[in-house]
Amino acid sequence: MKGLLSQFENWDFYLYGSFTGGEPGGLLLNIILAVLSLSMSFIFGVLLGYSRLSSRRYVRYPCIAYIEFVRSTPLIMIIFWSYFFLPYLIGKDIPIFWSAVISLCIYAAAYQAEIVRAGILAVPGGQLEAALSTGMSRYQGLRYVVLPQAFRMMLPSFVSFFVSLFKDTSTTYIIGLIELTQTGVIISQREPDKMYAAYLSMAIGYFVVCFSLSRLARRLEKRIGVFDLESYRPEATRDEFMLLPKRKKGGEVNLATE
Amino acid sequence: MTEISGFLKYEFDWSIPFREPYLQMMITGVKITLLLFVVTSITSLILGTIIAIMRISRIKILRILGTLYVEIFRNIPGLFWLLFFYFVFPSLLPFGLGERLNAYIYYPVVAGIIGLTVDNASYVSDILRSGRLTIPHGQREAAISTGLNRVQQYLYVLLPQMYRATLPPLGTRMVHNFKNTSLCMAITAPELTWATQQIESLTFRGVEATAIATVFYVVLSLLMFATVIMLEKKLKIDITSITRSRA
Repeated sequence: MKGLLSQFENWDFYLYGSFTGGEPGGLLLNIILAVLSLSMSFIFGVLLGYSRLSSRRYVRYPCIAYIEFVRSTPLIMIIFWSYFFLPYLIGKDIPIFWSAVISLCIYAAAYQAEIVRAGILAVPGGQLEAALSTGMSRYQGLRYVVLPQAFRMMLPSFVSFFVSLFKDTSTTYIIGLIELTQTGVIISQREPDKMYAAYLSMAIGYFVVCFSLSRLARRLEKRIGVFDLESYRPEATRDEFMLLPKRKKGGEVNLATE
Repeated sequence: MTEISGFLKYEFDWSIPFREPYLQMMITGVKITLLLFVVTSITSLILGTIIAIMRISRIKILRILGTLYVEIFRNIPGLFWLLFFYFVFPSLLPFGLGERLNAYIYYPVVAGIIGLTVDNASYVSDILRSGRLTIPHGQREAAISTGLNRVQQYLYVLLPQMYRATLPPLGTRMVHNFKNTSLCMAITAPELTWATQQIESLTFRGVEATAIATVFYVVLSLLMFATVIMLEKKLKIDITSITRSRA
């Protein structure tokens, strides 16, 4: 029993790194990376997602180009660009941590934009029309009528996106950030007899966070309803989306497929 | 080169990725990337279908096993599974099979295929399962009444509709899978991303190779997105008519 426990004696290293360099690591670093990049890119995601629906071509097309470009590039490539090329571009070295955050932000903004766009499209068009007919400006109608409803519907998607972003933070292992995967690999290479324990700890660390959050997402979906984010098409019109979720009196969303 | 100061101090030398031996690395990289993508797409589709059928079966133990599989593989990153199948899996095998695998020169590619497959299959099975839920009961009843047995019901009636109904998310998933092949560089599979990083570490001039690789990934992904949209238009099932007839 004692031998088994000693296999996991590095639990603090997996959980929050060594702190010797003054920097947190391990699972804590994954959480910090995910939270920081999600919140930093949130505003860009909202702006991009809304601008993509703009009727002006010179606003819409650059946003489409950005979103589609990022969505079709592997995250590793974005990380390499910010890790190898950004220092040349701005003329000074960037700490690995920040180049990881920047690349995750670039990545997350595009995906959040898609969530925001789907959320705005899921609000029935009549809502904006009603807002406009009461004399609100387009901005006011958006700000006070459409977006609050859209955000409510986006919430489950945001939580599931956070789970996927959290898993994607493991990719920063490749540029040498001491996050959970890196701690596990370090231990398993330094002490080969602890290999199984190290991989098990990694798996448990990721599983606990992702499982509980995806459960939360599922509960939110049940309460708020969900729109099918992956299956909508770029060329789909607003009218098609108006058909999808229908609001009941109790505020629940009823899917047409139900 | 070593001193970095000022704005955009980088002189591009586009001949580097086209010089030997780097050109050979890039070509091998493209080949291995495409191999990984094609093989894992097929295997994960097969495995995902099996898991999806397990999860909607009437036998409780199969349902539990299927759900367990999906929960485990969806909640742990793909990179972990790649590392697991590369470093840990061979040591779990009996009869010295592990040593033989480790000695096998293409084992990184094999481990990459296994890792990507098990990761992608969990997503595929989730998508297919949600596709099964959109098929009206009448379809299965019709299949039973024409005397098809359970296997035939799935093969000829349910599965084709499941794939068609879930074509857009499946396509997006396959593009994800294509992008995920780049993670195999972590286990030294000689695919495209690995080649660019190899060039970077050998010449300190990896930007050009990285640019070429990025263009490669972007163009192929966009082509796949376009193919999915085209296929979807061609194979679209009129959902509204189904829902209308049910209402």
